[in-house]
Amino acid sequence: MTEEEKSVNQLVGEYEHVTEDIALVVEDTELPRRLKTRVYNTIQNREGLVTPEQANEIAEAVENRYIDTRVDPLDPVGTVSAQSIGEPGTQMTMNTFHYAGVAEIDVTQGLPRLIELVDARKTPDTPMMTVHLESEEQNEADIPFATDREYAHEVVWDIEATKILALGDVSTNVADMLVQIDLNDDTLAERWPRANNVTEVAQEIAETIEDALGVKTRQSGTVIEFGPDQPSYRQLLQLVEELREITFKGIEEISRVVIRKEKMDDGEEEFVLYTEGSAFGDVLSIEGVDASRTTCNNIHEVYRELGVEAAREAIIEETMDTLREQGLDDVNIRHLMLVADIMTNRGTIESIGRHGISGSKDSVLARAAFEVTVNHLLDAAIHGESDDLDGVIENVIVGKPVAIGTGDVDLKMGSFSAPSDD
Amino acid sequence: MVDVSQHNLVPEHTVLDEPERVEEVLEEYNVEKTNLPKIKRKDPALRDTDAEVGDVIEIVRDSRTTDQAVVYRLVVE
Repeated sequence: MTEEEKSVNQLVGEYEHVTEDIALVVEDTELPRRLKTRVYNTIQNREGLVTPEQANEIAEAVENRYIDTRVDPLDPVGTVSAQSIGEPGTQMTMNTFHYAGVAEIDVTQGLPRLIELVDARKTPDTPMMTVHLESEEQNEADIPFATDREYAHEVVWDIEATKILALGDVSTNVADMLVQIDLNDDTLAERWPRANNVTEVAQEIAETIEDALGVKTRQSGTVIEFGPDQPSYRQLLQLVEELREITFKGIEEISRVVIRKEKMDDGEEEFVLYTEGSAFGDVLSIEGVDASRTTCNNIHEVYRELGVEAAREAIIEETMDTLREQGLDDVNIRHLMLVADIMTNRGTIESIGRHGISGSKDSVLARAAFEVTVNHLLDAAIHGESDDLDGVIENVIVGKPVAIGTGDVDLKMGSFSAPSDD
Repeated sequence: MVDVSQHNLVPEHTVLDEPERVEEVLEEYNVEKTNLPKIKRKDPALRDTDAEVGDVIEIVRDSRTTDQAVVYRLVVE
């Protein structure tokens, strides 16, 4: 059985009112699967009133329309994309509003976010991650991380940076030149759920302090004391300052994690974590984190961990989300795909602008027309550059027809003999 | 180490081993090899492959606008 026959048989079985004749006609068109499915659904909804002849007409009409909507050769798709993203951009909010995203996490939105994305900033204004938990792989208790509150919290404490102020009270005893930390038992038990007792955790914390500050500590129960080698008030305060900066558990960059129960596409409820701050690579390797669905809003981190293709996807997702959030989701995704394609064309993420795409064009005139005109012209003069006048901008400048659309087609009048049929 | 290829954002990458396939691709698009989009040799998605500089990678994406989109990238340093 050929591939085609198989799919026809399958379709006939799947749709009650799609006969073999109809399926063969539709399968024979140039339509993509997405549109073929829509044709079948339409025929199905007519409940058997569609004859094979009519189905043929429908398929033909859809196919014609589909071929008609394809981009013509020499269409200036880049310019069209620029206009199509730029116009809705004018309707976007110029100011960022805070706490507008999910789960009370502050995310940059609107125009500033869009600019940030196409500029390919190294770090976004408000880095964040959406961390999904393993929903299939069972841990030792046979409960998936994603549906169990306790396991989900365990992951939260593996991610969120724990600083000393969250663990207990810090006081300075100036008379004895000592820093005293009185750890809170409940907090320790909560954040180290796997530890046997709090003293063990306190010991671990004391060791971390010794390593980080290079001091000797004394620990009894959940109280830790330490001081500078030489009695010095300045050094004592210095130690307290440094103590506050130490990350005892979790990931340094992530200041806050919000946990939310969400309904997934398959109807199941799962815990999803939203983080303020991002460390994509570190989070992916934490036990319990689903490394196939977790994402990050920093396209450079996605690029570093998952590669260009993933970065391309991330750019499309992020730009589309930004537009959707502003109610501008009628921008065709193809425009954003084009932008993402261009930004990732050289195997890395390049910004759109002077330091990226526009700045690395071959044509001197095109670069000079964009920004810092004099510098480009001067450099070109020094290096003796020439311009092939291939692009649009160069030709507009020199007053020649541009090489797109009808401008690239030469018509010649005259006669020639018809080709012979041999 | 995290298995990059398992991530939803990462499409399937395969090295085109046979020179004939590469020729076919270049002929289809009527371009030179260097006109293809690039991918770095150190790209995380190529970690498990033995891609060398100059190889052509076939990438099969789940496309938003069609069923599957096949694109090609040239491996560069």
